This record gives sequence, C-alpha cells and structure tokens, in this order.
Amino acid sequence: MIKIQNVNKYFYKGESREVHALRDINLEIKKGEFSLFNGPSGCGKTTLLNAIGALDSVDSGEIYLGETEITGLNEDARTSLRLNEMGFVFQAYNLVPVLNVEENIGFIMKLRGFSDSEIKARVQEVASFLEIDTKLKSLPNTLSGGQQQRVAVARAVAAKPKIILADEPTANLDSKNSLKLMDMMRSLNEKEDISIVFASHDELVIDNVRRVIKLKDGALVED
Amino acid sequence: MFNLALKNILFYKGRSITTLILTFISALMFIVYVSMMDGSHESMLKNALKVYTGSIEIYKKDYRDIGGNEYLITDVQKIEKELDKIEGIDTYTARYETYGLLSSSTQSSASLVAGVEPLKEPSMSQLKVALVEGEFLSPTSGNCLYAGVDLVKKLEAKLGDEISFVGAASDNSFAADLFKLCGTFRTGSFSFDASSAFIARAYFDELMMSHNKASYINIKVHDLNDVDTINTQISAKIDDSIESLTWKTLMKTMVDAMEVDSIFGYITISIFYVVIFFVIMIFGFINVSSRIREFGTLRCIGLSRQKIRTLLFYEIFILSSIAIMIATPIGAYIAYYYSVHPIVIDGMSEMYKDYGIISDEIPFSFNLFTITWNISVVYLLNILSILYPMAFINSFKPVEAAHHV
Ligand SMILES: Nc1ncnc2c1ncn2[C@@H]1O[C@H](COP(=O)(O)OP(=O)(O)OP(=O)(O)O)[C@@H](O)[C@H]1O
Ligand SMILES: [Mg+2]
Repeated sequence: MIKIQNVNKYFYKGESREVHALRDINLEIKKGEFSLFNGPSGCGKTTLLNAIGALDSVDSGEIYLGETEITGLNEDARTSLRLNEMGFVFQAYNLVPVLNVEENIGFIMKLRGFSDSEIKARVQEVASFLEIDTKLKSLPNTLSGGQQQRVAVARAVAAKPKIILADEPTANLDSKNSLKLMDMMRSLNEKEDISIVFASHDELVIDNVRRVIKLKDGALVED
Repeated sequence: MFNLALKNILFYKGRSITTLILTFISALMFIVYVSMMDGSHESMLKNALKVYTGSIEIYKKDYRDIGGNEYLITDVQKIEKELDKIEGIDTYTARYETYGLLSSSTQSSASLVAGVEPLKEPSMSQLKVALVEGEFLSPTSGNCLYAGVDLVKKLEAKLGDEISFVGAASDNSFAADLFKLCGTFRTGSFSFDASSAFIARAYFDELMMSHNKASYINIKVHDLNDVDTINTQISAKIDDSIESLTWKTLMKTMVDAMEVDSIFGYITISIFYVVIFFVIMIFGFINVSSRIREFGTLRCIGLSRQKIRTLLFYEIFILSSIAIMIATPIGAYIAYYYSVHPIVIDGMSEMYKDYGIISDEIPFSFNLFTITWNISVVYLLNILSILYPMAFINSFKPVEAAHHV
C-alpha cells in the first residue's frame, strides 16, 4: 500500500553542517501491517515517518500511498491527503485543549463531513474499545497521560484512515500504560484492518509489533 | 470552525476579556467623540444662522466680493413676487446694509448700519429676542436706532441719547442724520454686537434713497434639508446678474474652519486607535504564540492554512461583534440623550466668544449613518489586527509547530 523508492533526504543541504537524514530508502508497507521503525537516536525514524505522513518533503525518490505519489503533491493536496487518508498519534498527545474527549475523537470525522449521528455512534464505539467512554465529557487536561494518549489514538482511528503513523507514542507513558496502549492498538489494527506504523526505540513497542524495520544513519539496515 | 472559535474564546479568557474591553471602549469613545464633535459644529452653525444669516440669501453678483452701491439689488419687488411662488419658503426680508460712522457726544465708531423690516425681522433672526434694554424697532419708530450692547459701550451712550450718522446714500450722495438710541441687543456673538446697528427701513430708505433696493434678500426656508432644492428653484427664476446662495456658501469660512477642526479631531482619535490597535494585535499575537502546538496539531491532522485563518478570523469577529453590540446601543443612547439634553458648561460662551460660540450648551449629534461608519472602522481595525498573528502561525511547518513546547 505504501511504496518508498530511492528516497533521500538532507537537512542543511550544501552547507558544512549538512545531514544526510535518509539514504536510498526502498521499502514497502502492506495494508494491515503493524510495523515499527527502530534504531538509535538520530537515525532518521521521525524523518521517514514524516515523509510518509506527507508532513515533510524529500530531496529525491518517490513515496506512493496506493496510486498517489505523495512526494509530488503541493501543500493543499498534502493537507487533504492527511485529513482523508491518514491518522496521527504524537508523543505529547496533542489533543485540542478546548474540546472535550468526545469532540476530540469526532473532530476529524467532523472535518471530513460525517453526519452527527454517524460521528456519535463511531465515537461511542472506539471510546468504549479504548476504555475512555466514561470520560467523554471531560476536557483533555483533566485526564491522565495514558487516557489522553488513548483519546489521541481514538481520534486517529475514528475516521477509518488507511494508515496511522505514531511517533514515540509511549515515550511519555509508564510501562503499564504503554502496554495497555500497545495492546489496544494491536487489537484495533486487527479488528479494523488499519495499517499502523510506529517510530520508536521503546523495547515495549518492539516486543509488540509484527515487523521491525531497523535504520542506522539514515539507511535501512534490517527488516 | 465557528463552534471551535467560540470554545477558544471561552477557553482563552485573558485574551478574550482584554479584546472585548478594548473594543468596547474604543467603539464607545469613537461614537461619543464624533457625536460631540459633529454636534458642537452643527450647533455653532445653527446658532450663527439663527442670529442674522439666512439659510438662503440673494445678492447682485459681486456684491459680496466688491460691495458698494453699484452692486445693490435694484428691483426688490420683482424678485419678491417670484419668491412668493416657491414652496418651502417661510419668510423673506430685504435688508439694506451700509457702513457709516456713528458718533455720540463723546465717541465715534465705524459700524454696520442696516435698514430692516421691523415686522419681518423677528421671524428671520434673533434681533428682536436679543433685546437687552429699551425696545425693538417698529414700522413707525422713525429715527430710532437699535444697536448692539458692545457698540453702545464703545460709544459710551445710553438709551435716549442722540447718535449722529454720516455715510453715503445709495446714489453715492452724502447722507447724514441724527438718530436716537431706542434699544440695545446682545446676540452673544461679540463681533456682531460690537459693530452693528439697525433702523427701520421705512425711515432709512428716505435718507438713503434706497426704496425698492436691497443689499440682499434674506430667505428662511421651512426645512433646512430642502435648502438646495429651493435654491435651485430660485436660481432658475432670477436673472443672470443676480445670484442665490445657501448658507453653505455664505458661511464658507466657518464651514472650512470646522472641517479643519474635524480633521484635527480625527487625527487625535486616530492616534488613540493606533495604540488600541497594537494592544489588541499584541494580545492576539501572544495568544496565538501560546497556541503554536495546537495549531501545528490541527495542521498535521489535516486543517489547511485557509481553515486556520478562518478560525482566527471567527475568533476576532465574534469578540468584536460582542463588544460592538454592547457599545453601539450605549454610545447611541449617550449621543441621543445629549442631543436632546445638551451638556451645559457655564461660562463657555464667554470664554470662547471670539470663536463665534454663543451658547453654553454642547449638544451632541445623533446620526445613525455616522454611528454606522464609526463602528465599521472599529470592526475593520480589529480584523486587521489578526492578520499578523495569522501570517505568523501559518509560517510554521506543521510538524515543527506540533512539537513546539
Ligand atoms: N528539522 C530538522 N532540521 C535539521 N536537522 C534535522 C531536523 N530534523 C531532523 N534532523 C536531523 O536528521 C537526523 C534524523 O533525525 P530524526 O529526528 O529523524 O531522528 P530519530 O531517529 O527520530 O531520532 P530520535 O530517536 O531521537 O527521535 C538527525 O541527525 C537530526 O539531527
Ligand atoms: Mg524521532
């Protein structure tokens, strides 16, 4: 479903402090995969994930999501691609502070134009799956970190994207909460058939994914 | 987006309250200040019109520029017949004005001496009600002189005194006579009260050979708003050597002075607004800066730059609307209230008598059109104030902003 061909990415290109963040990456991620980019700090996990998520450009090579070449799109097209095809989970949860749990989870569906009744039913479904259905009327800042991250996952999953990209989702959580989150995401991945790709160096994440893609100095070293 | 904007407003209370209060104050001040400025200008004009100047005056061309006996209207009756046919004219009167030397037994003063129609004048001007001592003129008051108090003071004269007049008659012959001081008046306009004296036309015309002649014909219209239409009608009926002018032309110096005054007023208030504008902008900017991560997240999950702009626009729009919706009725009420019950400052007219202010009252002007453009300006400035924060927030890359701490 995602095809990455000869992708290279530099920071500060042409300057003395140039960083070759991605080197000739060739990779395919299939529908329904539950995978992880792993490797030491600075190896390019985040950079690769952002490139797939149409959040950042690359200097050469192509990335395809299905038939669409992400690397060739302009800002507006990338924005609507993110809205319609992708879900994001961030390290710091990044919920909308003024919206309650229910509204946060339904936010992307609302932007995409789902009807209120559809949104309500779907929010109820994912919230009970992620065990946050008792908190629907709470504001994010009244929840624990584990709960907030589950709301973020619920938001990412609610609109049924093709792929969810999660950059260090467990970094701010203790092991109990991390495990719970990984369990739930794994079940979601199976139940809803949504591809999920992580970028993480957390052992707990490594143990729970089905595919580990190792990077070193911007290059793919092990799959 | 609109709901999200509403929620943001409720959530970021500091910014919302500051913006509300500042917008409220600026809208209110703007309405009240402009209303006061316009009101005082209108009342100055109105007072000036009330005293002696007509809303329309008819002259022989060049009389106002050159003056003198060559430029008198020579067939008053013919024009008056035409005026009778025009609707909207309340009254008119023909005045014969000349300058001459008035002398008492001890002092002399050059002065305007005007022959007026004693029966018509009271409905045209303030002359009669401005009476201080003695009595106003009548058709049979003969050589009775009715003079401004400050002129009388200059002449060191008192009621009943004889005052001699030396001047030129309408045919340029020498004219001299002995008048009797029968009444004094005070209009409040110092320059007028210090250099004007009046006498009944019936008597004055004999002396000046000015039957059926006039310096000008003074017209009072029923509704001041019709002055332009009536003036066009008059102009069509009189011949080319004669011109009909409205108060806007007659009081051009005063109107111009007021325009200058207005410009200074607007400059003052603009400076105030620039300050408010920047304060509102800075608060908007601080608010947006504290929300970089929030906006970054929104961009990441699929909100376009345009949507972010819409969101910020709604926020300032809602805040401005609330503030303006509260400020406008209050401002309008204040303007209306003081237009009906003018503020009175005792002694103001005395202090500013040289500027033509003849009343202690400052009435406000209540004009919905003015209020509308006042609040439009406040709206516009508020909306402009969010442009910079908008550009600032959209200059971030979505991911960078989303990870901003
Ligand atoms: N915005 C940026 N500007 C300049 N250099 C960057 C930028 N983002 C990443 N880099 C560099 O690119 C390389 C890869 O960074 P990346 O963030 O992808 O690593 P990572 O594997 O996610 O590391 P970590 O495990 O610490 O999150 C690093 O050398 C980093 O310094
Ligand atoms: Mg990283």
